[in-house]
Amino acid sequence: MGEILKKYKWMGPIIDAMDRDVKRLFMKNFRMRDKNFFPEGEYKADIKNLVNCMLCPNMCRFDCGTLQAEQKETMSPAYKARIGYYLTIGKIDPSKEENKAFIDLMYKCSNEESCKIWCPFEFSVVSLLETVRDDLNDKGLMPDYCKEQIDKLKKTNTIEDHNIYETYKEKGIENIETDGNDEVYYYIGCESMKFPEVVKANIELLKKAGVRFSTNLETKVCCGGPAFNIRDLETAKDFANRNKDLIEKTGANVVVSDCPGCVVTLTSRYQKAGIEIGTKVIHIVEYIKQLIDEGKLKFEKNVSDEFSKITIHDPCLIARNLNDTTSIRAILNKIPGLEISEPMYNKDSVHCCGWSGTAHWADRSLAIKEAKNRVNELKETGSNVFLSACPLCELGLAYGLSEGDKENIKIIDIAELLIKAL
Amino acid sequence: MNIENFELIYKDNRVIIENKPKIKEKLSKIVGNANVSDNEIDIMAYNKDTTLLAFNWTLEGKLTALPDFIVWPETPEQISSILKLANEEGIPVIPFSEGSGAVGGAIAIYGGIILDMKKFNKILEINDKDLTVTVEAGTNGMNLERYLNAKGYTGGHIPQSLYTSSVGGWIAHRAAGQFSSKYGKIEDIVMGMELVLPQGDIIKFKTIARASTGPQLDKLFIGNEGTLGIVTKATLKIWPFPEKRALISYAFTTFEDSLEATRQILRQQIYPAVIRIYDADETYRHFGHIENAKNKVMVVFVCEGVKKLVDLEAIITRETCEKNNGIDCGEEPVNHWFETRFRVTETSFAPTLKMVADTIEIGFLWDNAANMYHSVLETTKKVKGVIMMTAHISHFYPNGIGFYFTFAGIPPEEKTDLEFYQEVWNTVVKVVEDAGGSFSHHHGVGITRSHWMPVEWGKAFETLKSIKKLLDPNNILNPGKIYESPWDEGMES
Ligand SMILES: Cc1cc2nc3c(=O)[nH]c(=O)nc-3n(C[C@H](O)[C@H](O)[C@H](O)COP(=O)(O)OP(=O)(O)OC[C@H]3O[C@@H](n4cnc5c(N)ncnc54)[C@H](O)[C@@H]3O)c2cc1C
Repeated sequence: MGEILKKYKWMGPIIDAMDRDVKRLFMKNFRMRDKNFFPEGEYKADIKNLVNCMLCPNMCRFDCGTLQAEQKETMSPAYKARIGYYLTIGKIDPSKEENKAFIDLMYKCSNEESCKIWCPFEFSVVSLLETVRDDLNDKGLMPDYCKEQIDKLKKTNTIEDHNIYETYKEKGIENIETDGNDEVYYYIGCESMKFPEVVKANIELLKKAGVRFSTNLETKVCCGGPAFNIRDLETAKDFANRNKDLIEKTGANVVVSDCPGCVVTLTSRYQKAGIEIGTKVIHIVEYIKQLIDEGKLKFEKNVSDEFSKITIHDPCLIARNLNDTTSIRAILNKIPGLEISEPMYNKDSVHCCGWSGTAHWADRSLAIKEAKNRVNELKETGSNVFLSACPLCELGLAYGLSEGDKENIKIIDIAELLIKAL
Repeated sequence: MNIENFELIYKDNRVIIENKPKIKEKLSKIVGNANVSDNEIDIMAYNKDTTLLAFNWTLEGKLTALPDFIVWPETPEQISSILKLANEEGIPVIPFSEGSGAVGGAIAIYGGIILDMKKFNKILEINDKDLTVTVEAGTNGMNLERYLNAKGYTGGHIPQSLYTSSVGGWIAHRAAGQFSSKYGKIEDIVMGMELVLPQGDIIKFKTIARASTGPQLDKLFIGNEGTLGIVTKATLKIWPFPEKRALISYAFTTFEDSLEATRQILRQQIYPAVIRIYDADETYRHFGHIENAKNKVMVVFVCEGVKKLVDLEAIITRETCEKNNGIDCGEEPVNHWFETRFRVTETSFAPTLKMVADTIEIGFLWDNAANMYHSVLETTKKVKGVIMMTAHISHFYPNGIGFYFTFAGIPPEEKTDLEFYQEVWNTVVKVVEDAGGSFSHHHGVGITRSHWMPVEWGKAFETLKSIKKLLDPNNILNPGKIYESPWDEGMES
């Protein structure tokens, strides 16, 4: 209430000038505001901001990845919030089978948070949808595609249907177990394990720089990010605690991950869940930049022609959540002869690859459309090498390639390029 | 069914579609299964546009209207086939783009088929020599402007709804952008168009700087509000991105002085891209933090373009303001306007207090403009329940201006929201029309203003209706707007 009074200070003289009857009604509406529209109850949903969002003229619509992918009003941010509100207050009964599509809508977001840039209330739509998911979960209404992910986490400790960390040997990835006295814990994401060449490249870079590090793949588990997205906070916290132990055991000064999703989870999401990792956690691009600055890594070779002209796809998690758009560029600028092109939507206005958040579980074809949109934007630069620094982006963008594109376009991680220039 | 839990506002005279599955099948044949829906989740998403009253209804759990089908065509030929089918079956077709319209134009009051233009979203070509961009009509304004900016141009059409409106919506509503004194309104910007007529014919108006080839029929479709044709593509003017911007602001003691200063600026053929006069109440609301503006009328200007010209425009703008007792307030108010112009929060706030609010943007000539402003304020404030009536002026011509009134009120207990809303509107329109003004400068007519069309147009309205009948004999394209008023019942004229 105080906040409203401050923001709408200009209404003071208007209220003073009201005649008695009108003022009485106005004051009644003011007093009853919460009761009328923000009913009390056992909600976790952020009802006030759902209302703020649903009554906005959709001022972020042009930058909403899922809306731009689908081009249907149904996917618009304000409508998602509106449905979230109706599900919460029971205007749409979430427990009815016929309303599954409305529940699914609460998951059709790729967490890219571009909406937040334009939001006068400074929230992202996903931050609201997550609170609606909390209530759905409490009512036992978690969608099956989310339950599947939680099952996988519980069974395999990863987001895959097998423990993907156990595949390190067959993929030729060197595992370095900690002696409890590491400088760095190279924290490999579940999804990064799908790109063994990237992991190997990162290991090579760290070795080249003389860093004392471990990978601990024998005991490694998922960061719990997917459980945070799904809002199964019990599972999420379980993973958080296990990771905290694993990280502490390494004695590392810094945890360096190749997956920005892991970095965001290990830092701000754990913090919000009340679990504090004492060790600094950063993305590997930030660390590599540091190594370059300290003179521990040098890139002296030109990369082959095939890779000499690249276009940067900023992972939205690095650009917008970790607020780092400089490391990638600072590193790339050190590679001799490299031609860097920037897509129109870059840095903190980057568009998502489609593979973040829950959308790709809730509606794979939607996520693929989003990926295709991004691929088309990257293609505009004329460069055939798309460079990123996130396994999810590398997965998503690959889904966005047409058959023809697959022959011409390469999607690479920054580490793969860097080892070519060592 | 969830829809039964929602009160429907427009529930009368709904079209009865005998065999919905058959129609759905026919629509699917035209646009493909994925591009037709009659699912609840989709039709609910298209129940309204951005009519402010509809926000109150949304919060109260009401649906404004319910279409029967949504279609997402991808080619003009598909639109043509949909319209032919709709004519055969007698089903209304309502064009919809970004749904930011403020007058109910895209609302399916009688049900029928919402034809969403969003998939027409390609920017096709920039021609640097001709200074044109050709673009599909569903393209979002901000996505177009960002693209143009990245290539070194501006489209010059920057409505406050830039983020949430489309090229087709602009043309349909004869929209006006905030930078319009320099770049023109949409009718000055459109150079060529492709349209599908109500009976399915696809027509094109050639892109040309000017021609004398008989009446300018293309102008009939600029402002047609989706009732005479569906715009599929347009060629618009563009300009090199301005080299320089001068930010200027002056505070005036009287509203009259501010009007006189701006009128004289335009009379000298100086066209700042942005001119905005805020009356004293709006100055307090938006610029309460500017010391020099206390109890005054704030005017902000943005001059932009080639540096030498901007410098000259700025000099003349300043001199003219000072000659008319303006007090220089520097760049800060203009920066503040730039920072806040797209941050709309009021629509989220007013309905939670059960406030009914709307904006009334009217066209007026210079002569007598100040008197008209004062009488609108005076008479409207007398309407029981009105708590606020303020204005700014956002569009300027050497010959006249576009006023933008904002009212808010708490409907008295004996009145519904709608009755209160209509009473305020009737009051304003009466003053404006009696004084020779027009009841809309740029939002259009739609449902909410069609009631006053006979007053505005006089006998010419019959001619307009004949044209509608000629092009759309079955009245399938966007019925219930412009030519007829679903609100007539119970309204005073
Ligand atoms: C916050 C806010 C600020 C605004 N500021 C401005 C402003 O500064 N200036 C201004 O002029 N307006 C403004 N408006 C009003 C609105 O944005 C405009 O009327 C806009 O032109 C509507 O475009 P749209 O794409 O959203 O159209 P919609 O709302 O989808 O449709 C509007 C009308 O056009 C018809 N239509 C849509 N597409 C087509 C097509 N392709 N062919 C034929 N008919 C079609 C529809 O049937 C309907 O009648 C504002 C609105 C809001 C909510």
